[in-house]
Amino acid sequence: MLLLEAFFAPFFRRYFYYFDSYPLVIQIAIFLTVVAIVSTVIAYASILYRRYRGSRHDKKIARINPLLDEILTESIILNDDLAEGKPVEEIPLPLEKFDRPRFKTPFARQAIIERLIHYRKNFSGDIGLLLRKLYIELGLEKESFGKLKSFKWDRKVKSLIELTAMDMSIADVNILPLTNSKNRELRAEARHAYIKLSKNEPFKFFDVVSEPLLMWDQLELFKIITTTKDISIPNFARWVTYSSNKSVVAFCLKLIVHYNQQEAVPSIIKLLDNKDHYLRSNAINALGKLKADEAEDKLVQIYSSQPLDCQLEILKAIGRMGTGKNLTFLRQEFLRSSDFDIRKNAAKSIISHKQHSEEMLGELLDTATAENKLILKHCMNPLIKY
Amino acid sequence: MTGANKEYKILLIEDDEIMLKVTERILLKEGFKVIVAQNGKEALQKVEEKDYDMVITDLMMPYANGFEIISKIKGDSYGANIPIIIVSSLGNEDSIMEGFRLGVDDFLKKPIMAGELLIRVKRLLARKL
Repeated sequence: MLLLEAFFAPFFRRYFYYFDSYPLVIQIAIFLTVVAIVSTVIAYASILYRRYRGSRHDKKIARINPLLDEILTESIILNDDLAEGKPVEEIPLPLEKFDRPRFKTPFARQAIIERLIHYRKNFSGDIGLLLRKLYIELGLEKESFGKLKSFKWDRKVKSLIELTAMDMSIADVNILPLTNSKNRELRAEARHAYIKLSKNEPFKFFDVVSEPLLMWDQLELFKIITTTKDISIPNFARWVTYSSNKSVVAFCLKLIVHYNQQEAVPSIIKLLDNKDHYLRSNAINALGKLKADEAEDKLVQIYSSQPLDCQLEILKAIGRMGTGKNLTFLRQEFLRSSDFDIRKNAAKSIISHKQHSEEMLGELLDTATAENKLILKHCMNPLIKY
Repeated sequence: MTGANKEYKILLIEDDEIMLKVTERILLKEGFKVIVAQNGKEALQKVEEKDYDMVITDLMMPYANGFEIISKIKGDSYGANIPIIIVSSLGNEDSIMEGFRLGVDDFLKKPIMAGELLIRVKRLLARKL
């Protein structure tokens, strides 16, 4: 140590002597250059290290996967007992084949989990059940549950993916807090897992959502809910009536429309008296899409007291219901309003009444102003949607 | 049935190595002859050889996708009456409709059940007779 100091001290002293004698601008420039060079070296070193680790991982995977494939194909996929129709619970598994030191390292156990998941993505039915049985009998679910307790969010996500793929149930106390996580990835994965794994109440987390569901969250949830097989779809009116989170209410309105839950219409009509215009406009939109014509008169009644977004939704809803009862109202709005959006949506709704509005449309085309005629012709194009 | 299956050659097109090997083993175990192709390019070459009785194909593959391969098979007099099954993780309406529009006979969405695949293969081959 002393030797090092004795060697380097004069070296640094010499350079600091020069550095001190330079003008401030040069000193700053030198400092920035040194910082840039050191950062570049660190960045390159880190990239090289990551690539080295990645390639080592790939090599290890390439060595272990063929062995796993051999065992899994022979013992699970082409299992003779399975082919004979023996129940999965009674089929003995070749656990001794995994009782080798090379399959006992954490790396190997993770590789087995990933391989099992890959197979389950390709094969369902009894093969899928047998793969799950192997996952449990090898005690791999303990590794997955262990990751769920990690402080790192990416390990938690990995755990949720594994447990979901293997259809393992997770206690509400462990998963529900994660559905409210500040981390977007973790939140989305936890909600996905909850919907998929909760057999009785897959939407219970709607009750505990404290933060607003962002548009992106809603899109992801919508995809998960509508593409997950075998989930029991509840009556979403429950949250429309009781939830205090307005983004949950708005999202449930979309789900009600998607699943055409006509039984939810009375709850949606009650939302028309809500003080929040965002919720009212969403409710009106849902009523229109559900063609809930029992609400049509009320919509016309409240029209004049609504802000613009709700008025536009009312005009669209009347068009979607298409009963013809309020054509005169649509005509009046089309001719009276100076707002372009109002006129456009009123025109579109008149046109969407088809045979009910043929006569009115002809009359409007003959008598309307040049600008209104242009709006009508534009809306008559079938490619123009609301 | 296993003995009779020996006469049938199935062209199996799949880019996922595991899925390819496992499906091949399942079909071989049932006595079918299996010709494999691991990407679109290889598949198009095997299609040119015109030596198969049925095609099982994935959709998303490198070089040429499943639809291109199906169009090539169906556009040829040899392949026009060859039964085709799509086995894919793409299960959206557009892919299914496009497949049937091109003339495929069956569509299986991954994950598949091995038994179900075999039943569908045998049923289509029996119909071909």
